[in-house]
Amino acid sequence: MSEEKFQPKIVAFVCNWCTYTGADLAGTSRLKYQPNVRLIRLPCTGRIDPVFIIKAFEKGADGVLVSGCHPGDCHYNLGNLHARRRFILFSELMNYVGIDSSRLHFSWVSASEGKKWVDVINEVIDTVREVGPFKKYQKINKEFVLHE
Amino acid sequence: MNELREKAKELLLNNTVKLIIGYANGNGHNRTYPFIARNAADANRLVFNEYCVNNLAVYLTRKEFKGKGIIGIVAKGCDVKAIIQLIQENQINKDEVYIIGMNCNGAVNQLDNSFEKTTLAQKCINCTVRTPALYHALIGTTKDIEEPADTLGEKIKEVEKLNADSRWDFWEAQFEKCIKCYACRQVCPLCYCEQCIVDKTVPRWIESSAHTRGNFSWNIIRAFHLSGRCIGCGECERVCPMDIPLSMLNRKMSIIAKKEFDYSAGVSLDSPTLVGTYNMKDRQDFIK
Amino acid sequence: MDEKLITLNNLKIFAEELLKANYTLILQDKQGIRWEKISNSDELHISSKLKPTKASFKEFVFSKTEPIFYFNNKNDGVELIDSNLSAEKMVFFGSKPCDAKSINIMSKVFNWDYKDNFFNTKAENSIVIGMLCEYRDEFCFCTSVNLSPVSSDGSDLFLIPTDENNFAIRIVTEKGREFIQPFLKLFAEGNPETTDQIFKKINLPEKGFESEVIRSWIGNNFEHKYFERAGEICLGCGQCAFVCPVCHCFDIVDEECGYSCGRRMKNWDACQFSLFTLHGSGHNPRHNQTQRYRQRISHKFKYYVDKFDEILCTGCGRCSRGCPVGIDIGQIAKEVHSLAANKV
Repeated sequence: MSEEKFQPKIVAFVCNWCTYTGADLAGTSRLKYQPNVRLIRLPCTGRIDPVFIIKAFEKGADGVLVSGCHPGDCHYNLGNLHARRRFILFSELMNYVGIDSSRLHFSWVSASEGKKWVDVINEVIDTVREVGPFKKYQKINKEFVLHE
Repeated sequence: MNELREKAKELLLNNTVKLIIGYANGNGHNRTYPFIARNAADANRLVFNEYCVNNLAVYLTRKEFKGKGIIGIVAKGCDVKAIIQLIQENQINKDEVYIIGMNCNGAVNQLDNSFEKTTLAQKCINCTVRTPALYHALIGTTKDIEEPADTLGEKIKEVEKLNADSRWDFWEAQFEKCIKCYACRQVCPLCYCEQCIVDKTVPRWIESSAHTRGNFSWNIIRAFHLSGRCIGCGECERVCPMDIPLSMLNRKMSIIAKKEFDYSAGVSLDSPTLVGTYNMKDRQDFIK
Repeated sequence: MDEKLITLNNLKIFAEELLKANYTLILQDKQGIRWEKISNSDELHISSKLKPTKASFKEFVFSKTEPIFYFNNKNDGVELIDSNLSAEKMVFFGSKPCDAKSINIMSKVFNWDYKDNFFNTKAENSIVIGMLCEYRDEFCFCTSVNLSPVSSDGSDLFLIPTDENNFAIRIVTEKGREFIQPFLKLFAEGNPETTDQIFKKINLPEKGFESEVIRSWIGNNFEHKYFERAGEICLGCGQCAFVCPVCHCFDIVDEECGYSCGRRMKNWDACQFSLFTLHGSGHNPRHNQTQRYRQRISHKFKYYVDKFDEILCTGCGRCSRGCPVGIDIGQIAKEVHSLAANKV
């Protein structure tokens, strides 16, 4: 291989009841998707504090996906509805400071949507691969890092 | 001014309020500073003029004053918005504050932290609450004032026009300057958390070091925590020693709240807060 | 005392030569916010009438954040790696007497028992070119803390504008003499007596208080109710400490760099923060803002004087100009002085 493809690091914050189970279904159904994603399971999208997303970028993520139950399906009835409102505000803010929708993604994937999960995650990885490594954030991450 | 002092004296003498948070003249300088009046003699030192820039609502949630009886406060329309927001968020009891509302003709822009140029403050442009929305006593009269153009909105639009990388560069250059003195947080009436997320150490979500990365997360998260809550008093930007244009963040979030949810902070005493509620019809075109 | 003369043009050439000789030139920025490095002698703008920047040049000798060391968890134990000390040669160009003095004052605490290499290295690599100050506002009080707009204390070289395009430059320290040696061709000989005449014409800020009176009053009136009045409106931000040229408190925190490594950072801290004295147990010996404000005044005018015979204040007035609630330290000192005079 002379020309290696850029392999982005994607962090996906997923809810326990829908998307995580959906991803599980993708696995048990032997569906294949690109392996660039690290799943972090949380009880609910309502539990996802935007500070987690910033932390993911600080730890070197090139893109972040937040995924949970469809509206109305939330295990806790309202968690994803509160989350949706929060992420409208947060995604606009992130866009304003220069982290646009090519790096920050959101989706609803239910427990039965193994195929949708595969499609979503492939799409996210391809989008991030296209915009390349998150050099801007890596620059501020590298401040005061020890070079030997 | 006399009207204010008389009212303050009356309130203090008949024990309607325990103390009054107001403004007094700075010592010979052309500025005023927050002042706590506890008796009639103190009341005679109270002033109100265009140099009263501070938002005194910040004192209402401080443990020295909160829950210690009825507090009188001298408040402009914008300060009253903060008080309304605090009542809406159940931070202060409506019955424990006595608002001496001031009809306001605009505060001056505190350039370079001295009043060399007496232009109208940014927050006073297009002000809709020159007469406070809530008060127990109302003092003074409003008159027509000349309003300069709203340059803040223009500045925000300019940044919005840039591409993502340039927007990042703009904000990176701003946040790099931050020295983490937390003047923005301390002066903000809505930053009342007993423990701020930046002070939490287990786990430490936001690095307390003032390097660009720590500054970036701090300023972003503060803007986010204030979205739908910031009433636009502009105090954070005024006090920032490094001149970071924080109003550009907070105003942007207010614009989004208005556009997406038709919501403005500091208006309603009893409706649910912006992020404390939801609507089945909330936009989800950004969600796959 | 040796004195040289230089024209504005030659001063620019001087700056150019310094840049070529790998010196970092640091000046007040044009917006009046902080000091910044310049890369081109055209950016050299100095004037005795400039308003002090909001932040002092402290951050170049005592960084707002810097790594002390790095740690690395290995199979056979923890490896510690020292952080590299910068050997950058810095020149603070056109510093006001109230800024120039800061390195000397801070160096006392940084060399008191433990020798702080971070500060010392940077201080040793710094040259302070002070400048006579003709800026005055109601917040300036350098004369009250035994400084003056014409003081060359703390400067290595001291610039005195003789007219619009000419300067006299006084060689104050041996370090300054060595520094200027390679560039002497740009300078003409000067006469200290002429500049002494200029000094006499400079009007000084009025002396508002005697620092010695403040020191002894604080010692006898620790519980005085005056502090309650002064401290009750303080909101507890760190603006005053962070813009101060001599406030030197710092906090130490660990930050992770990866899964098994990290760095220990030294960050500015301020006595007005409620977390400053908070114990791990939850007990806070300075539990209200009044006590914290008293600490600020006492440290500046009493404790530091007692320990190092130096007032921890240069009278620059930065903290008062920038205070969100208008607390004016010069005014407070004046009030304390009158309390002491009236024995209340």
